This record gives sequence, structure tokens and C-alpha cells, in this order.
Amino acid sequence: MVPAAKSDSIEWEAGLVQRARGGDMRAFERLYREHIGSVYGLCLRLTRDPAAAEDCGQEAFFNAWKALGRFETRSSFGKWLHRIAVNVVLSRRRKASAQREVPLSVDADEEVAEAPGEWTLDTPVEVREIEAAIGTLPDGARDTLVLCGIYGYSHGEAGQMLGVAEGTCKAQLHRARALLRARLGVSAQETR
Amino acid sequence: MNDPTPSKVDRLSELPRDVRPPHDGWQALEARLRAGGMPESESSVQRRGTTESAWRRRPRMMQVAILAAVLASAAVGISIDRWILSPARQTPPVARVPSSTGAGAGMTVAYVTDPRYLHEREALLRSLDAKLATLPPPTRQKVLQSLATIHQSMQEIQQALGREPGNALLQELLIDTYQDEMQVLSTVQQASGGGGET
Repeated sequence: MVPAAKSDSIEWEAGLVQRARGGDMRAFERLYREHIGSVYGLCLRLTRDPAAAEDCGQEAFFNAWKALGRFETRSSFGKWLHRIAVNVVLSRRRKASAQREVPLSVDADEEVAEAPGEWTLDTPVEVREIEAAIGTLPDGARDTLVLCGIYGYSHGEAGQMLGVAEGTCKAQLHRARALLRARLGVSAQETR
Repeated sequence: MNDPTPSKVDRLSELPRDVRPPHDGWQALEARLRAGGMPESESSVQRRGTTESAWRRRPRMMQVAILAAVLASAAVGISIDRWILSPARQTPPVARVPSSTGAGAGMTVAYVTDPRYLHEREALLRSLDAKLATLPPPTRQKVLQSLATIHQSMQEIQQALGREPGNALLQELLIDTYQDEMQVLSTVQQASGGGGET
């Protein structure tokens, strides 16, 4: 049973999508402002680069606008946006790799201290530590961890987004968690 | 012996999903959207889909499309049990549990022991370089990246199995990963138009 608030939210968004499909820019702006934080957060965690994440976020919303006709209004607009955003990030990553440009994300187990967003004094130290440790993970492991661990997608959903098999996704998540434990200095006893 | 305090790794879901971007990008996006025109209607999306289907039928793109489709099909977990199981499907791909627990990092225990599967895999790996050479560079790159990811996963899981040889989930993951590899290898074989050596 869908909670009333969630159901209302889906209907509210469906209405906005319908209006946006007709070219209502204000309706699309409402959708943008509602979801840009989540989309930018996802892109930032996948790219580890604020400028690239902004570009990817903008590209995701541009692609979403163009493809509004394909969106099933009974499903989650946020999930649909995330799927588009992941596509944009992966596509840019492939292009960067092919052109041997500065990579959009870390390619190996390099130490990178940067983490998403601008840290403020209010940001708990533990959050900074976790985000920084996530930033040091290899792409495949980090992608899976971000989608499953932070954004709550299932192995199957994350696999579909990333274009890998569910089993590969599980393996990557297992690997990511092991690496993260090592990075954070968490013993196996502490986690179980 | 449960620790009542959740570890940092178990608290990932508590991290904030929303991150405020440093700039308000709406104005730039709006300008771009206005320049780009209206969203596509459902009917135009469907028409475009038909056009794309026709485009995909072009012979030159056939191999790439097949490869991309099958690589993508790995995402929906198409089973390749036939490669591993006997024709009667009575001999499952054996995830053999090592009898000793002494294996550590880099162990090479073969968890998948069906001889037909091993023979097929060996043949496909032997001809891989030649088959890859017939593919377009972007596709070749994608295949190599997929295989690298799969092999890395295999290694990690085998190492984990070395520590926990009785872990059924890890055994299942390893079998899944071998299946992923076989799917990619057989796809390369088909996409490059090869009949294979077996």
C-alpha cells in the first residue's frame, strides 16, 4: 500500500510532467528544483568532480526534457532521472577514457581526499571520512556502492543502470564494502 | 556477538542523498531547453524507435549492435547454464568447496569444474585476441573493460572464498561471474562471425 504522502507526491509530479510535456517550462522548473539536489549528489559521487557533476546534472535534465514523452507517469520521476543521470556519467566517462582526457573519476585505488559538496562546520567528521573513503574506490565498485548503499537501489536496478549483470553488481558491492572497511580501518568483527 | 553500534560501512544509507550544487543552473538550462524546442511527444518517440530499428538492421552495424545488445543483456542476467550444465541439465556447474581452509590470496582453486565448460572457456579465451581484432575499437574497448571487471571480481571473490570456503553466497557470486564471462566471450565469438574452435 502506497503511503498517502508518497501517492500524493507521485500524482503531483505526474501533473507537473504532463504540463511539462506540453511545453510548460515553469512546471519543468518545479521538477528541476525538486530533484536537482538528488541528481547532483548522485553525479558528484560518481564523478568526484563538482564541475563535471554540474555538467552531468544539466545534461541529465536536458535529456529528460527531450524524453518526457517516454516517461511512465505512474513510476518514480526521481528514479527515471537517476537512470538518465547514470547514463550521462557513464557516457562521459567512456568518452574521456577513449580520448585520454583528464578522467572524470578515479581510475584506481588512488587516495583522493575530496568528497561531495562543500563541507561545513556542521558536517559530521564521520560523514567526511566515509565520503572521502568512497572517493578512493575504483569506478565499478564505487558506482555500485553509491547506487545500492546510498541511494537504495537493488542489485538488479543498479545492474540495469550500470549495464552489468546482477551477479557482477553483487560482486562489485561485496568488493566495495571490503575496500571501504579497509579504508576506514573497520575490522570484520566490528561490522558483524 | 552483535555490535549494537552500526559500523560506518553499515551507515551508508544515512548519508545525505541530496547535495546542493554550487550554482543555480536553472537559467542556463532553461535557455538551452528553449533553444532545443519542445519535448518529444509519445508518438514521435515511437516513430523514432522504428527508425532506430531500421538503422540497426544495417549490415555494417550488425555486429556492434549484437554485441552491445548481448553485453547489455548481461544486465538482465540471461542464463548461460547450457554452457556449463550437461545436456540433461543434471550436472550443475560445480562450485567446489575446497576441503582445506588454508588457501589465501591468489589461490587458484577451480571452483567451476565441469570439463565441457572448462574446455569451452579455454577455447574461447585462446581465440579471443583474434576475434577482438575484428571488432571496431570502441566495441573492443568495451569488451576488454567488461572482461577486466569480471576477472577482477573473480579474483576478489576467490580470495574471499579462501577465507570463507563454506560461504554459499560467495560461491553463487563466483558462478554468476563465470557465467558473465562466458556470456561476453561467446558474444564476442558470435559478433566476430566466428564459429569457434570447439
